[in-house]
Amino acid sequence: MDTYILAIESSCDETSMAVVKNGSEVIALSITTQMDTHAKYGGVVPEIASRMHTEAITLVLEDCLEKAQMKIEDMSAIAVTYAPGLTGSLMVGVEAAKILSLMYHKPLIAVNHLIGHIYANNLENKMEFPLLALIVSGGHTELLVMEDDYQFKRLGETMDDAIGEAYDKVARVIGLPYPGGPNIEKLAQMGEHTYDFPHPVLDDTYHFSYSGLKSAVINLVHNETQRGNRIRKEDLARSFQDVAIDELVRKVEKALKETGIKRLVIAGGVSANQYLKREMKELCEKYEAELLIPRMLYCTDNAAMIGAAAYPKYLKHEFSSYTLNVSSSADIV
Amino acid sequence: MYTLFIDTHYTKLQLVLFKDGVVFDERVKEDGMHTQYLVSLLEDLLEQNHVTFDDLSGIIVVNGPGSFTGVRIGVVVAKMISYCKHIPLKVISYLQALSLKYNCECMVGIKDRNGVFVGQFNQDHELVGDYFYVSNHDFLKYQDQVIIDEEVNLDMVYDYLKDKKDVHPHFVKPIYVKKIEVDK
Repeated sequence: MDTYILAIESSCDETSMAVVKNGSEVIALSITTQMDTHAKYGGVVPEIASRMHTEAITLVLEDCLEKAQMKIEDMSAIAVTYAPGLTGSLMVGVEAAKILSLMYHKPLIAVNHLIGHIYANNLENKMEFPLLALIVSGGHTELLVMEDDYQFKRLGETMDDAIGEAYDKVARVIGLPYPGGPNIEKLAQMGEHTYDFPHPVLDDTYHFSYSGLKSAVINLVHNETQRGNRIRKEDLARSFQDVAIDELVRKVEKALKETGIKRLVIAGGVSANQYLKREMKELCEKYEAELLIPRMLYCTDNAAMIGAAAYPKYLKHEFSSYTLNVSSSADIV
Repeated sequence: MYTLFIDTHYTKLQLVLFKDGVVFDERVKEDGMHTQYLVSLLEDLLEQNHVTFDDLSGIIVVNGPGSFTGVRIGVVVAKMISYCKHIPLKVISYLQALSLKYNCECMVGIKDRNGVFVGQFNQDHELVGDYFYVSNHDFLKYQDQVIIDEEVNLDMVYDYLKDKKDVHPHFVKPIYVKKIEVDK
C-alpha cells in the first residue's frame, strides 16, 4: 500500500507543507517565504518569523491540500521539523502537526531539519549506501558517512562559524542586501582572485573553520577603507568564495580517498551555490564518484524533504508523542 | 453540544469544555510549558469525557495579550481545529474577558513580570482606543484607575460571545501590544 505523508516545515522564514508519496514522490508542495519582510531588517527577525508562520499556517495547509487534491484523512502520517531552527518558528509547525495528528488519528513523526536536507535527494534519485554527505548551510558545515538510512557517522564539522554564516557576514561587511550568500556568489562571478586569504584549517583533519576567514575579510575591508583604498567588491567576493569552497573540496577529497566511498550527497542551503556544484562535480569525476545534489527548489527550506526524511521513520514505526518539544539545536549524530 | 475554550496567553494553560453553555470539565497547567502540554491535555480532556472533535460546535480562543509565544500556541491550535473541522471560532482578548465582570466603564489590567497590559472598555465591554503596556515603574500613575485582575468568569465569557460573529481561522491573529526590539 502507498504511504502518503503530510509534512510541515517552519524552522526559519519559510512556512511550507507537502504531501509526499512513499518518501520519494512529491504530490504537492506549498511554500510561502517571508524573505522580503526580513530583507528590510538585514536578516531574519525571529519574533517576526513566528508571527508570520502563525498567520500563514492554515492558508498553507489549504493550498497544499488543494494542490494534492487530497484530504488529511488520506494521509498515513503527519511529519514535522522539530529541530534545529528558531524555536518560536518551530513551535508553530510542531503545534499544527500535533493537533492534526490528534484530530485525524495519524502517527506523528519528528524530523531533524538537516536530515531533511539530506533526504531531499530521495525526491530525485533514491540514495544508495554507503555515501558521503556534506551539509552546508547557514547553521551547519558537516561531513558525514551514511551506511544506511538514518545511520550516520560524523567525519568532521565546523569548529566555529558555518559556511553560510560566513557568506552572510561577508555580504554584510561589503554592504550587500540579505540574503547575503546568493549575492556574494553573483558578485564573485564577475571578480578575479585578487586577495590572498589564509586557508582556515590546513591540517590533516576533517574539521572546518570559517571564523578566521571571515575575520580576515573584515580586517582587510577595514584596513583598506582606513587607508583610503578602494576595494573591488567583485574581487573580494571571488577571493573569499575561492577559499571558502576550496576548504570543502579539500576535505571531501580526503574523505573520498580515505573511505573509498563512491557517492557524495550535498545538502543544505549552500548547495544551491553553482561554484560549489562545479567544483564538486569535477572532484567526483576525478574519483569516479556519483554526485547527488537536489534541484534548487529542494535545496532551500521546503516541506517535501521533511516528508522524504519521515518515510524511513514511518516504516520503522518511530513515532513521537504529543509531548514532543522543539529544539534550536540538534545533532545528527 | 460542546464548546472548547483555549487560553495560553501567559504561564497558565487552561482548557475548558462547555456543555450546553455550562462549564463541564477543564484542564489547567501552571508551568508555562504550553508547547509540550496543550495537545496532550486536550487529548485527555476530550477522551475522559468521551467527546470527539466532531462533537464540538464552537471554539473560543484567547488571543492575548501576554507572552508572545504562549498566545501563539493556543491561537495556532484553535485555528487548525476550526479550519480542519469547520468549527465556528470566536476570539476574545483576556482583558476584554475580564472587563465582563465589571458593569461599568472600566480600565482593566493584567500583570506580567515587568509591567501591566491595560485596556479601557465601555459599558458594553467594547474596547476604547488601543491596548497598551506600561512598565511597573510607570504603572504608579495608573494604579488608581486600573483594576488589576487575573481570573475571568467563564460563564460570562460564554454568554457574551454567544451572539457574537465567528471569525474565519485564516484571519485570526494574536494581539501582541508590546513592541519588539526591531520596531523600536
